[in-house]
Amino acid sequence: MRGLNKYFSIAKASLEVIFVYRAGFAFNMIGTVFYVVAMFYLWQTIFLGKPGALGGFTWPEMKAYLIVAFILNSTMTWFDEWTMGSDIREGRVATDLARPIDFQLKRFAEAIGPVPFELVSALGIGAVVAVVFGGIALPADPVHLALFIVSAALATLLKFAIIYCVSMVAFWTTGMEGVQNARMAVQNIFSGALIPLVFFPEWLRGFASVLPFQGMISTPALTYLGAMDGPTTAFMIGTQAVWVVGLMLFGRLLWRSAIKAVTINGG
Amino acid sequence: MPLIEAHGLTKQFRQAVKEPGLVGSLKHFFTRQYKDKLAVDHIDLSVEAGESVAYLGPNGAGKSTTIKMLTGILVPTSGSLIVDGLVPHEKRQQNARKMGVVFGQRTQLWWDIPVIESFNLARDMYEIPAARYKANLAEFTELLGLAEFMNIPAGKVSLGQRMRADLCMALLHEPKLLYLDEPTIGLDIAVKDSIRKFIHRLVEERGTTVMLTTHDLGDIEDICNRIVIIDSGKIIHDGGLADLKDNYARDRVIHFQLARPPASMEPICAGLPACDLHADGLSLSVRFDRFEFAAGEIAAAVMPHVEVIDFRIDEPEVEDLIRRVYLGQLSLAAPEPTADTPESAVAAEA
Ligand SMILES: Nc1ncnc2c1ncn2[C@@H]1O[C@H](COP(=O)(O)OP(=O)(O)OP(=O)(O)O)[C@@H](O)[C@H]1O
Ligand SMILES: [Mg+2]
Repeated sequence: MRGLNKYFSIAKASLEVIFVYRAGFAFNMIGTVFYVVAMFYLWQTIFLGKPGALGGFTWPEMKAYLIVAFILNSTMTWFDEWTMGSDIREGRVATDLARPIDFQLKRFAEAIGPVPFELVSALGIGAVVAVVFGGIALPADPVHLALFIVSAALATLLKFAIIYCVSMVAFWTTGMEGVQNARMAVQNIFSGALIPLVFFPEWLRGFASVLPFQGMISTPALTYLGAMDGPTTAFMIGTQAVWVVGLMLFGRLLWRSAIKAVTINGG
Repeated sequence: MPLIEAHGLTKQFRQAVKEPGLVGSLKHFFTRQYKDKLAVDHIDLSVEAGESVAYLGPNGAGKSTTIKMLTGILVPTSGSLIVDGLVPHEKRQQNARKMGVVFGQRTQLWWDIPVIESFNLARDMYEIPAARYKANLAEFTELLGLAEFMNIPAGKVSLGQRMRADLCMALLHEPKLLYLDEPTIGLDIAVKDSIRKFIHRLVEERGTTVMLTTHDLGDIEDICNRIVIIDSGKIIHDGGLADLKDNYARDRVIHFQLARPPASMEPICAGLPACDLHADGLSLSVRFDRFEFAAGEIAAAVMPHVEVIDFRIDEPEVEDLIRRVYLGQLSLAAPEPTADTPESAVAAEA
């Protein structure tokens, strides 16, 4: 694995950059805290006066779902279509191409670098919020916890793969902000970040199940809660993995044909 | 075998034809009009190891495009290109390991972290052995004077500092080929000079093959032994700097500083029938073809008639030469260049 050493160094450098922009990072975090608190109050109101379960969720379980969603949404926030798109449009990728590195792996290293720090911050904030709101449901047993960690890791890879693919649009259009907003809107709905997918009408749920987005929030959150039986959990995590591999390869393919067709701007 | 070998190398860009404004954008959205732009047009180029080539041409001639194909960043539209046994865009990473490149217009350093950490990244990216890295870093730091800003992020150093750091970054892995795309753009004379000296040293001591594009002709006289000129995507000259001077700069001008104004020009003119003479008060200049006359002969013809205090000989300016090539005043294809420039025509009147 000596060949991967360079990507480790890139990840490390990328983590360092987040400390340079710590103010921006802090504001980002504060924003998501407000968001998660708002979600808590919203769902609290919905659960109010309903002592039993709603859509299969008890209130402590729902709280756990929201915290898991918050943590997953708080990682890999420094990698987005806009940044990568401007690197492409302004020809900065030329620099990457002039080096003995794989473009996708380099981008991945950059994206993953800050994740440990983001994770620690989000876990801390999540714990405080959970305590303030009277505690959350914990995984039933270590097996579910372990499966959750696997699923959460896959969710992060999936996020990278999706953004990477979507970023390739920058080779053909300038409006990366719009593209990014569209991706986030679709993702927020179909990942289950706003509303767990069980609350969807049948047809919409069917639609969500054939998209990759459910693997970003819904699958890891339900795994955490142990809400799915064994075979279903295995199937859902398997689906996540298939999407990760598929989209990673698709991203490579897109990059390769894009670079051939359009090539770098400016000079 | 040459290090770089290109045959019929061509790059055609497709440029969107778009009218200005929203209407133009809308129209383009529906009609999608494009126009083909031949940036590099069937060039043949062969560079041997150890050569230092100045790659010159006016804006938009295709210099950067060529460099990008050589570095594997751009895929050629047609033609063949082999660099040290590899097709650059097919074996991009392998090719990258053997070359260094500096784009004067953009930095390769990591913007937000200290310069030294960009170097450390280079060490890992190119898998440079620790000892070699240390030795090279020490040497380049010394030669390029990097120590004072080593711990400052690249985004916060001056342009001249950045360029020196970029040069170091491109060379830490000891590439056998170095591409420089306008390495001295926007730099002050002192920094330009130190960069030129540094590159010169690299060529002399390490035998690095250098290909350099520039609009600053000082760069080439200090560094290069060969000049390739490209215009509108086509190579219009390829040869040594001396060749260029020999072929297209046959004129020399010798200036005499006189003690007294010459009594009469007649005898001097008679002694130098094929030259342009120009007298103005206490100065006298003679423009001559250096293949017809030696400077000494000119001096010998002038001295008996006037009292000379001092004299100097103007070398042809490379800059002037190339400007004339760009302007089309000098046809490099023609076997016999016209010596008549506007200045000499005016001088002849006197
Ligand atoms: N990505 C691109 N898409 C379309 N046209 C391009 C692209 N890159 C360059 N060109 C065109 O190709 C031609 C050659 O450009 P190039 O950048 O190689 O010129 P250059 O010789 O480096 O000029 P300069 O001295 O200004 O840097 C120009 O006409 C330019 O407009
Ligand atoms: Mg250029």
